[in-house]
Amino acid sequence: MKSRFKKYGMLISIISCIIIIYLCTLLGVASISFLDANKILLNQLFHIDLGMENISAGAVAIIWNVRLPRIILAFITGGALALCGAAYQGIFKNPMADPYLLGVSSGAALGASIGIVLNFSGGFLGLSGTAVLAFIGSFATILIVYNISKVGRKVPVATLLLSGIAIGQTLSAIISLLMIFNQEDIAKIMFWTMGSLNGLGWVQVIAVLPYVLLGCVILLTSVRELDIMLLGEDTATQLGVDTERLKKKVLISSSIITAAVVSVTGIIGFVGLIIPHIVRMVTGPKHRVLVPFSLLFGGAFLILCDTLARTVTGQEIPVGIITAAFGGPFFVFLLRRRKKGGM
Amino acid sequence: MQRLMPKIMLKFEDVVAAYGERNVLQGFSATICQGEFVGLIGPNGTGKSTLLKCLSGLLPLKSGEIVLEAKNNRDYSQRERAQMVAVVPQSFDIDYDFTVEDIVLMGRNPYLSYKVKESQNDYDIVTEAMRMTKTLSFKKRYYKNLSGGEKQRVIIARAIAQDTDIVFLDEPTSALDIHHQIEVMELIRDLNLKKSVTVVAVLHDINLASRYCNRLILMKDGQVVTDGTPKDVITEDNLKKVYEMKMFVQENKLFGKPEIIPLRVIKETEDYRSLRIHVICGGNKASQILEELDALGHQVTAGVVNQGSDDWTICDVLGIPMVEESPFTSISEEKQQENLAMMADCDFILISDLPFGHGNINNLLGLENLRGEIYYHQNCSNNDFTEGKLTRCLEQIRAKKMLTEIDDHQEFLEIVKNRSLIEKESRSI
Repeated sequence: MKSRFKKYGMLISIISCIIIIYLCTLLGVASISFLDANKILLNQLFHIDLGMENISAGAVAIIWNVRLPRIILAFITGGALALCGAAYQGIFKNPMADPYLLGVSSGAALGASIGIVLNFSGGFLGLSGTAVLAFIGSFATILIVYNISKVGRKVPVATLLLSGIAIGQTLSAIISLLMIFNQEDIAKIMFWTMGSLNGLGWVQVIAVLPYVLLGCVILLTSVRELDIMLLGEDTATQLGVDTERLKKKVLISSSIITAAVVSVTGIIGFVGLIIPHIVRMVTGPKHRVLVPFSLLFGGAFLILCDTLARTVTGQEIPVGIITAAFGGPFFVFLLRRRKKGGM
Repeated sequence: MQRLMPKIMLKFEDVVAAYGERNVLQGFSATICQGEFVGLIGPNGTGKSTLLKCLSGLLPLKSGEIVLEAKNNRDYSQRERAQMVAVVPQSFDIDYDFTVEDIVLMGRNPYLSYKVKESQNDYDIVTEAMRMTKTLSFKKRYYKNLSGGEKQRVIIARAIAQDTDIVFLDEPTSALDIHHQIEVMELIRDLNLKKSVTVVAVLHDINLASRYCNRLILMKDGQVVTDGTPKDVITEDNLKKVYEMKMFVQENKLFGKPEIIPLRVIKETEDYRSLRIHVICGGNKASQILEELDALGHQVTAGVVNQGSDDWTICDVLGIPMVEESPFTSISEEKQQENLAMMADCDFILISDLPFGHGNINNLLGLENLRGEIYYHQNCSNNDFTEGKLTRCLEQIRAKKMLTEIDDHQEFLEIVKNRSLIEKESRSI
């Protein structure tokens, strides 16, 4: 049963993700008919023309330049966050670990807030100034947290967690201070921190993709060592794992992925925390399975949440609200079932 | 000649290691050769587990060095070291749903690069390791649901799968019942004999260590106290020095190895005034009362005891003065007089639970003239082979003085305790 799941599970999941991407591209506030949407997709993807003359250029732009990149970005973002969450939970041996644990999100938020307050208009390769500053902020935060925690060559996990929390809190205080002195920007900053995929396109996809791909490759080459790490650092060392190197590898690659994603989307919560848990309940703790499935499930989950965010009411809802609103209760349900059923 | 020299696997040279300022290992030195089964024994906190941490590269040395197969331990990567030394920890729990096979397969990690998946060869080694440890039948079960003994066997299977020259075990039996303790020790001995793996085991159970190891290293305060065969190491003197308690060492007749019987640690002497007590014994039932009276700080004597009897042995170990007689001989007139003289200044005389026959009944002659109080264990009357002599002796004593009958030795101990207790009030004056 389990081996069959392993064999076909991945294939089924990939196909499901493609179907979700396809279906969600057809859904939206703008009234573009099912048929027209398909014609546009076929034309853009495979250059098959089934009569484009009745379709307005606006509709083409909505499907191809608004919806599709946004959905793909949602997939990348959700997948990346879930992937990093899985890696963090493994390396910290802590079920509460998520990609924002080390203050990445606070750093990004501070960078973004500064960008918003200064009305920073400059950009870089099509990215907004806010995103660039957010990236710098999150990256600087990781470096600070890492260097605070370092004792010689070693980085004790407990110190790392605590300094992550401490720095995160400090940065949040600075953000609050910025908002107090720039009250006209409060709404903008608040909106940014809630996380949204609104208005993002191919530029962002291309900007984020290399980091995410590189990070994925690095994490996927560490799966066996991540498994062993769950037995504790001492045991892992005795089984030939260079734990300090592994920690560094995972922390740095996850942080880069998270920083890249957060700086364009804002802080989308819960995906990185709950998706790995849900996947672990199905696949077990082995990272060779857990990591790729987290990527797919996280991606699919965020696409669905984002589709709700943009279609459920006339007004766009920050997707972070949707993920939290669905993710929290669903997770509680799973925990209760696990407790009862002894999964 | 080179050929005959055993290969040196592991060499500790003056190793000093510390947690912060506190030196735990203070100049530990030992050389361990191929095929040895070495037991590390010693009280808690003497640095046995620290030694393991140093060897695993988890704790840097302050000074000295560890040489692992002709190369400084420092110069190995974790991976290389894990190909040479496998570690079996005390006991080991995980919350995650790893199967037994998953755990054992982790033993192959030192040989696998991140690029490759486990090969058929790896799976063969893992299966063989599980077969050796009898864990193959439940390889698909979750490790976390296993019993303590099963878990320990799985961890040993993992160490076997690691395919190393040296296996280091840190108290592998401390969490197990007797059945599983022996099972685990036998497994390790098999590994040592059949696969000629060099074994170093930290053990708390001295008797297990004595039985299975061919060499013991007794440690205290981060140093070696003695190093040698079990017979050399397990002596009363060595153990008393290290464990600060009285122990009794005898040869285990079944295994021909020394065996210890721990006696006691807590001394009650402070609360009791010392009395002169003589115990008439010589069989095998008075050992406990002799030991307890001695532990309370009384001046105990015994007699007349046959050499080689259990009572004689305990007197010998505890240094209780006694009148001795050769084994299986009747008590001579001379010894009887000696015994009587020994009892002359006694406060208490205990006729302990002892079978009386013609050979030893004269123990009781002349007691009626002594000043001490006499206590008589009633059970003696049930083991009376004197054809009436015992009864006559007792009557003779009763005619002149009080003879208190007791049901067991514990009762006598309570009486002695009550009588010798130093009142708190009087002490405080």
